[in-house]
Amino acid sequence: MPPKKPTNGRRRTRKKRRRSRKSSSFPWAKIIVSVLVVVVAYVAFLDFQIYRKFEGNRWSLPARVYARPLELYTGLQLSAAQFANELKALGYRFVSRPRRAGEVSRNGNDFQLISRPFDFWDGREESRALRVSFTESHLGQLKDDRSGQSVALARLDPLAIGSIHTARQEDRILLRLDEVPDTLVKALIAVEDRGFYQHSGVSPRSVARALWVNLRSGRVVQGGSTLTQQLVKNFFLSNQRSLWRKINEAIMALLLERRYDKNEILEAYLNEVYLAQDGQRSIHGFGLGSRFLFQRPVGELSTAQVALLVGMVKGPSYYDPRRHPERALKRRDLVLQVMLEQGILDRTQYQKARNEKLGLVTAAAGTSKTFPAFLDLVRRQLRRDYNEADLVGEGLRIFTTLDPQVQWALQKSLDRRIRPLLKQQPDLQGAGVVTHSANGEVLALAGGRQAGFAGYNRALDAQRQVGSLIKPAIYLTALEHAERYNLATPLDDSVLQYEQSGQLWSPDNYDHQFHGKVMLYQALAHSYNVATARLGLNLGVNSVVSTLRRLGIDAPLNPYPSLFLGATNMSPIDVARLYLNFASGGFHVPLRSIREVLDANGKPLQRYDLSVERVIDPAPAFLVNRALQMVVAEGTARALNQRFAAALGLAGKTGTTNDLRDSWFAGYDGEKLGVVWIGRDDNQPMGLTGSTGAMRVWSDLYAEAGVVPQQALKPEAVVWHGVDRDSLGLADNGCQDTVQLPFIESGSLPARAPCATGGGPDWLPGWLR
Amino acid sequence: MMKRLVAPLFLLLGACSSTPTRPLPPVIDGQTGEPAPGVPYEPPEQTVPVPLPPSSSSGGAVVALLDQAETYHRSGDSDNEAATIERALRIDPKNASLWSRLAAVRLEQGRPAQAEQLALKSNALAGEDNALQARNWRLVARARWSVNDGSGARAAEKKARDLGG
Repeated sequence: MPPKKPTNGRRRTRKKRRRSRKSSSFPWAKIIVSVLVVVVAYVAFLDFQIYRKFEGNRWSLPARVYARPLELYTGLQLSAAQFANELKALGYRFVSRPRRAGEVSRNGNDFQLISRPFDFWDGREESRALRVSFTESHLGQLKDDRSGQSVALARLDPLAIGSIHTARQEDRILLRLDEVPDTLVKALIAVEDRGFYQHSGVSPRSVARALWVNLRSGRVVQGGSTLTQQLVKNFFLSNQRSLWRKINEAIMALLLERRYDKNEILEAYLNEVYLAQDGQRSIHGFGLGSRFLFQRPVGELSTAQVALLVGMVKGPSYYDPRRHPERALKRRDLVLQVMLEQGILDRTQYQKARNEKLGLVTAAAGTSKTFPAFLDLVRRQLRRDYNEADLVGEGLRIFTTLDPQVQWALQKSLDRRIRPLLKQQPDLQGAGVVTHSANGEVLALAGGRQAGFAGYNRALDAQRQVGSLIKPAIYLTALEHAERYNLATPLDDSVLQYEQSGQLWSPDNYDHQFHGKVMLYQALAHSYNVATARLGLNLGVNSVVSTLRRLGIDAPLNPYPSLFLGATNMSPIDVARLYLNFASGGFHVPLRSIREVLDANGKPLQRYDLSVERVIDPAPAFLVNRALQMVVAEGTARALNQRFAAALGLAGKTGTTNDLRDSWFAGYDGEKLGVVWIGRDDNQPMGLTGSTGAMRVWSDLYAEAGVVPQQALKPEAVVWHGVDRDSLGLADNGCQDTVQLPFIESGSLPARAPCATGGGPDWLPGWLR
Repeated sequence: MMKRLVAPLFLLLGACSSTPTRPLPPVIDGQTGEPAPGVPYEPPEQTVPVPLPPSSSSGGAVVALLDQAETYHRSGDSDNEAATIERALRIDPKNASLWSRLAAVRLEQGRPAQAEQLALKSNALAGEDNALQARNWRLVARARWSVNDGSGARAAEKKARDLGG
């Protein structure tokens, strides 16, 4: 401050004092002192506000949610096309020769890439140059691109799939100043506040300069307020334009500069600045702005992209490049012009940047990055363990189980099968769940036929009749009584009239035929209602209910015989819970959508551990699995055989309800379980059975996502026997038409078939074979 | 026709039963793959074959993770040890030794019930590996001893002995 001013002030005060003494005894001194005290107190108050904001957590950060990271290793089942999709979704740039993190080159099945660093729960995965080659269906070779050495395992950065925030909450990804490219900082200062490193918070000169620059170019290029003032305005003050606010802004800018150095102020500015709006969420800071517009970290931005972001500071909605691409382009070019003039760019760099397109991310077809139905599941799981405030304010990082490859395949398959039917059935809907069989991780979830559409989450909330999907629980109950039942036990599929409390129940088969004596597995494979109902009645409805309870079904169950035919409601995810028992070889595996939650410092707050519980003995579990494979081999799902090699050993069950209101399919390969439902929300008939509707979606899904052969290990207590299809007796070489079935060694066996001549392996005792 | 007759009967059955629940219509199923009206028949695309994994397998990745798990084990960090084994299990979920290893960690963490279940899971995948099965049964025995289930523990020990472990 110039030394003259205080002297002037003192002189004036003295004058005032003299005058006040003259004119009666008006207490000028007291008033002035009081005013001074108030002013000092007010300034101290503002200073404290600044202190509190800067020393505490400057921002309340929403929880960020990630998909599973892709783990690369030799033998991973993944195609080159799937890998390319994953990289595209992650915002990797396809170039002719990768030089920086986030760049990749592709030559057919061979990729060269430089991965991005990422902080996981077990530490930082460093950026590395990789060479990845694919066979038809697998990752064939993984090498370090510099040394040529084989790499055992590499982890890519995970896809960010969402954040959990309150309505109108600000969202940002915090950056340290050293993470921000130099060009961005220079461009920002050149455009917004050229005197930044010289002024002490407020700059009359920059106001004058801005006026001059704007006059010269004939439009508003520069604003008059400093970066510090802008930061103060965003941090502490309302948007109102008033003199009082301007005064506050100036005082606080001066105070801020007194307390903190330029780099701290700059870093805060880079993180605070408002850049875009995404529905209810406002996008703040260059870290998130860069992700939001270009799907890449700020360090990977091109010069043109840097210029666009810097240009948007002036008017995020006016220059919104998605809504006003031409305006945004003009603004970007203006920023580039300033960068050239200020020597931040040379002419070649400038020309190159000028020729670039806006380069915004657009969701490529089939690789959407919004998964509202899955996030809904994550949110519900989190609500059980966290209060809302921690979720939306503490900057938690949530690592989920979502597998984007499976999710895209599920959405694509639902859309592909349902869309052609919408002309006749505009209200047709669908939903699906895919889980990992061994660990219960939810890999994909679709709440409706439209991808990325938030709303009624049918996968979780649609309680629908399950129909024949319930039948494996009845057959399991039977097979657990090995002394009475085996897979070849003849069941009676003839007219059934059951009387209870004077009422007659007489179930029918779907084809309105009766099939006489059928093997137990056939009744399941062909989903014969009458044989199943009779079996259920022999077992008793309570024993079936208790089986379902043991398998983890909490849904209300009506203890009537109609339960045998699936007259009970479940959601697709309930069905997944039920079938996971079969797909995992008899273990109950709780479903999980979250692996771990890390706090803002990267420390694990909570893990959702893998846990299992044996609920079906190994032998009956093996038998039920075989019966479900027979559904595909020769039963209601045999259409799958035309598409998938028999050796894949796919297992599953169709479900169709009354008047074709629900079309279900639950099926699994050696790795994952998929449940698909199709129907209408108003529960009206829609004309599809389990195998004409849901099963086709399932089929597309598995063809797209990739199938893993299912080879269940035969438990020791199980032996294989051939059974004569004609007499349902134990067969040997003398019989023509036989089926190989597993039996529990200590349990019941069919009688010898008439065709059996005593030759062949089946009549030799086990120890001789 | 039959269906039309059956439905009202069923409704009556539901209405007259003692539990005050909504009567449920019967369920039909058993159709065998004919396209429903309005669904154009689509011949299946190219048959999906059994995928052939490359000659070298995921073994290297699992070994690398087991090394990492061992490091956590030595530093007494059983949470991260378990999480690392889980990571390996995602790569090779049929690897019986990994399940057994996870069972051992759970026992160390004082979670005997989960340790026993994981050991059973390991045994379900162990096939002919009697040594591993015996090891798992001994682990089950330890888990049962820790909750004072003496007879259960002795039964598990016997199984381990029978397997030659």
